[in-house]
Amino acid sequence: MTATARLVRAEVRKLFTTRALPVSVAIAAVLAVAGVLIDALVAGKTGTPALGSTADTYQMLKVGALSSVVMLIIGILAAGGEFRHRTIMPALLATPHRARLFVVKVAVVAVFGAVFSAVIFGLGLGTVVATLAAHGIHYLPAATGRLYLGSVISGACFGMIGVALGALTRNTTGAIVAAIAWAIFVEQVILQAVAPSLEKWLPVGASMGLTNPPSASALAPAVAGLVLTGYAVVLLLFASRTTIRRDVG
Amino acid sequence: MSAITISRLTKRYGPVLAVDDLSFEVHPGKVTGFLGANGSGKTTTLRILLGLADPTSGSATIGGLSYRQLPDPVREVGAALDSNVFHPGRSASQHLKIIATATGLPHRRVAEVLDLVGLADAAGRRVGGFSLGMRQRLSLAGALLGDPGVLVLDEPLNGLDPEGIRWIRGLLRSLAAEGRTVLVSSHLLSEVAQTVDDVVVLSKGHVIAETTLSELTERGSVIRARTTDPTRLVAVLLAAGVQVRLVDDGTVEARGADAGVIGLAAAGAGLPILELSRHDEDLESLFFDLVHDRQEVAA
Repeated sequence: MTATARLVRAEVRKLFTTRALPVSVAIAAVLAVAGVLIDALVAGKTGTPALGSTADTYQMLKVGALSSVVMLIIGILAAGGEFRHRTIMPALLATPHRARLFVVKVAVVAVFGAVFSAVIFGLGLGTVVATLAAHGIHYLPAATGRLYLGSVISGACFGMIGVALGALTRNTTGAIVAAIAWAIFVEQVILQAVAPSLEKWLPVGASMGLTNPPSASALAPAVAGLVLTGYAVVLLLFASRTTIRRDVG
Repeated sequence: MSAITISRLTKRYGPVLAVDDLSFEVHPGKVTGFLGANGSGKTTTLRILLGLADPTSGSATIGGLSYRQLPDPVREVGAALDSNVFHPGRSASQHLKIIATATGLPHRRVAEVLDLVGLADAAGRRVGGFSLGMRQRLSLAGALLGDPGVLVLDEPLNGLDPEGIRWIRGLLRSLAAEGRTVLVSSHLLSEVAQTVDDVVVLSKGHVIAETTLSELTERGSVIRARTTDPTRLVAVLLAAGVQVRLVDDGTVEARGADAGVIGLAAAGAGLPILELSRHDEDLESLFFDLVHDRQEVAA
């Protein structure tokens, strides 16, 4: 087995040997299912679209945003946790090749993000199909497949962004608070009010082009995918420079 | 060739000079104590040696190579720098299996080293519930995982109970007896005096002594002589090149000299010796004097 393959296995083992992962997966799974069921309960009431309509089904399929947020946190914990718990020291003693360690961690989190997002979206989609079938509806909107793929890409990208933020800040709590504050207050509240045309080009806005139903105000999915990947790559480049150069101890 | 070579090593953090033109060697088959007060530059030196920090100038090598150049570092160097390098949610066994997986070591080795450090019964417990002593043992298990020829341990006795200290002393001696190179840092000479063969003493980032423990002990010993004419004995010994002084009660005190030399010099001068005795300064006082003198000079 090559050094890189061994390192991949070690990074996978790291991910699966902390409580953060099962807790995150369980919370995401419960929210994905509950979101669909709650939506189905209120569909057609107080002016909301009727159950089985394209608009309501799209609303129920907005699961990608959930898995993206969870992957952002998992990415931050995977990289920032190494510094918080100082496990970076035994990691670097075992693998002094810092660039390889960083690239493998990013790749493992990205792949996990894709698989995790696929599973969570699949769970949400399964619940949607079962709920609609229970009401005699056997119809899914045309963009369902695109939303599935978009959610997978968004989950992988936010996992990588999380790794970058964790490595840059070396502080898991600070990085999570800052990232969520950015997503909610800066992008969704301030920029959407001040410069709505700019918001779609920022990370959360771009991810909406992937995980939300087609909209004239959102970026086209291909463009959104490129923009989000671009943010992940740029942040990872910054993070890799500091991770490789900074002293540890 | 020495196993560890520190050559003109300097590390500067902004205006702070943590390590200043440091040079020393650590040899195989011996336990070397790396001693100095807190903040003297020990840990910085060890971090540079292990590739965790970059030197401002100079080099720190193991068998002629920097840590990052070693083809299989975990099998060549075992290091325990800190007892707080564990994810509290992982078990001791999981922590070591991650290292074993990353380095291609067989997982049976994890059980072996946990057994060796006395943590076999705690292998499945989360590290978050470990005492400081248990964490020290787990750190040591990580260092021993690759069965390396060189061991670098930073304050390994911290937090250990007397039984643990006795155990680790025996372990370090046996590892050195197998021909391994063992470098152990401590801020207390007395803590490692029963273990080390050689000592490197650091103060303010400088080496102030690089010697054997026996030579260091010798430095701290004095011969006291009483005679009928102490002033004349002092003159005779000074003429013979002996470092000597007259203490208050009329006793002549010679540092770093052999009792026979003093006896013969006195006999040659016709001075009767009423008492000739050797007194060893305790190691901790000697260590304190070494470090303190250096700090006063630096100030």
